[in-house]
Amino acid sequence: MVALARKTLVYEWRRFLPAILAVCFAGLLQLLQAALVLGIFGSASVYITGSSAQLWVGYPGTQSVNLGRPIDEGVEMRLRMDPDVVRVEPFRWVDADWRGPKDTGGVSVFVSGIDPRPDGMMFAQALPPRLRALLNEPDAVIVDRADLENLGVSVGDTAAINGHRVRVVGVSNGLRALGGVNVVSSLDTARELDVDPQDSGRVTYFVASVRDPARSREVARRLSGAASFGSYAVWTKQEFARRSQMYWILDTGAGAGVLFLAGIVFLVGAVITSQTLVAAVVGSVREYATLNALGVGVGALRKVVLEQAFWVGALGLVGSATMGMLLLALARSRSVPVALYPMPTILCLGLTMLLAMVSGLAAMRSLRRADPASLLR
Amino acid sequence: MADSAPNASLQARHVAKSFVSGRLRSTVLHDLSLDINPGELTLISGPSGCGKSTLLAILSGLQRPDQGQVMALGEELSRLDQHALERFRLRHTGFVFQGFNLFPALNALEQVELPLSYLGLTPAEARRRATASLEEVGMGPRMQLRPSELSGGEKQRVAIARALAKEPGLLFADEPTSALDAANGQIVIDILHRIARSHGTTVLCVSHDPRLVGHADRVLSMEDGRILSDHVAAVPAPPAPPFSASMESSA
Repeated sequence: MVALARKTLVYEWRRFLPAILAVCFAGLLQLLQAALVLGIFGSASVYITGSSAQLWVGYPGTQSVNLGRPIDEGVEMRLRMDPDVVRVEPFRWVDADWRGPKDTGGVSVFVSGIDPRPDGMMFAQALPPRLRALLNEPDAVIVDRADLENLGVSVGDTAAINGHRVRVVGVSNGLRALGGVNVVSSLDTARELDVDPQDSGRVTYFVASVRDPARSREVARRLSGAASFGSYAVWTKQEFARRSQMYWILDTGAGAGVLFLAGIVFLVGAVITSQTLVAAVVGSVREYATLNALGVGVGALRKVVLEQAFWVGALGLVGSATMGMLLLALARSRSVPVALYPMPTILCLGLTMLLAMVSGLAAMRSLRRADPASLLR
Repeated sequence: MADSAPNASLQARHVAKSFVSGRLRSTVLHDLSLDINPGELTLISGPSGCGKSTLLAILSGLQRPDQGQVMALGEELSRLDQHALERFRLRHTGFVFQGFNLFPALNALEQVELPLSYLGLTPAEARRRATASLEEVGMGPRMQLRPSELSGGEKQRVAIARALAKEPGLLFADEPTSALDAANGQIVIDILHRIARSHGTTVLCVSHDPRLVGHADRVLSMEDGRILSDHVAAVPAPPAPPFSASMESSA
């Protein structure tokens, strides 16, 4: 079989270049958009993804980790009774007001009260043991390097949270928050900072690790069943992280924005790609008509056009993937929040391939001009 | 245009065709009947607009007549649907056009192999037939070249090889020499003539090129949608010479 589609693509690459570039940039835009959204909204769940616990126990119906309500201390007993639960750790969330030494006004901060033990589960990935140990000191807090300027402090400075004096003992990396600033303290310090009388010393979450992480979903379902320890809900790490991210994506309208932009990118890419492919078909319409005169069916000719669209898509995707990887690496090196997982990547690249194939289908229509009778004059 | 001619491979009976443009209806073919025999080069000549190309399109199954029937190799073309017509063309007909219509990306060998691959031939058989056809039209040494590296005459020979490689019973040529100089036109018409003789192919050529008249076995003159005269060469046209050095050098 003579590879007409591929040979034409190679020989007349200049003709196809606009289509390849259109596919390439459409794919790149989809990828970067997804990576940025996932990166930005990924910080909504950094408390969950940055920790090693597999189960999260909180107030029923909590939509996002920052919206937690205090739960009954008795829940801890219920968790410890389960044979599959190996460790339980409290986590206290305090919405607070920060006053720095410099003139920064009030800054809304999220205080995360964690167990500072070296093997603590909360922020196990985000805070190394050396930093955690610093939190054992009363009124010690850690803030993210990226937030130092907003808070108007540097390491060693003192500030006030909810009117209580704290001292910045260290800085973390990758603990940026959405809609506020993260401050990490020990559980005891956080309890001091919590001035809400409703909380009355109760914690916001319990996190737990299970014997076999693969069975965490099953354990979560089982633990959710009991009601005798007050009202609480149990989520797996993945469920709760997803819940928090989705809350933010939908709450901010970013989800609709992403879909809107994806639609625009798809449309623009498809217009350019299909126009280029149409031009390529029209440029060879006499040759196609000759093949049809010789008995090569219209279906077979359509296949050639569609195959061309496929190769245009494939080459464009190679470009998108290569440029995407380079740009994401660059973004990471500049602390731009980007994150890309296999599923969104496949989705973006699949959508881009769909764009190429839809363009091919559109270009196929111009094969109607390949009427062999028109070759006779 | 008798009803006889039992060995005719291509028959038109009372074929009529007209075109409508706006409110104007112009008749291109008037109740036309004719028989064309295998093993001959038949030339339809006439001024432009006389309907000769439309006749070719109808006889070759590219267009349907308004009235009348066309029998090609014993098959009535009007009974075939679009798909069956494509199958018929794939198996039985070859075409050569004025514009050579070669794919710029393919070399001569691939141009010829391309339609063969749709015939269901094995790649080896397609390659063998393509090579043989190209050698028959004297393009053997240049079959690795692309159209941009070939002269007009060479391109038309590749186009003929592309039609010939299918081993068609019917070979249609529309103004095959109009875009060529005298020497190359001569070569092309000689090749078409030889194909008719040596393969027993029905070769139907449409042209207003007066140089071709002397090379045809039979000349049909057309005007205003009618055949005016049917002239069979009194002295059979000389057998086409085998490929000679003169042909190679004139290309």
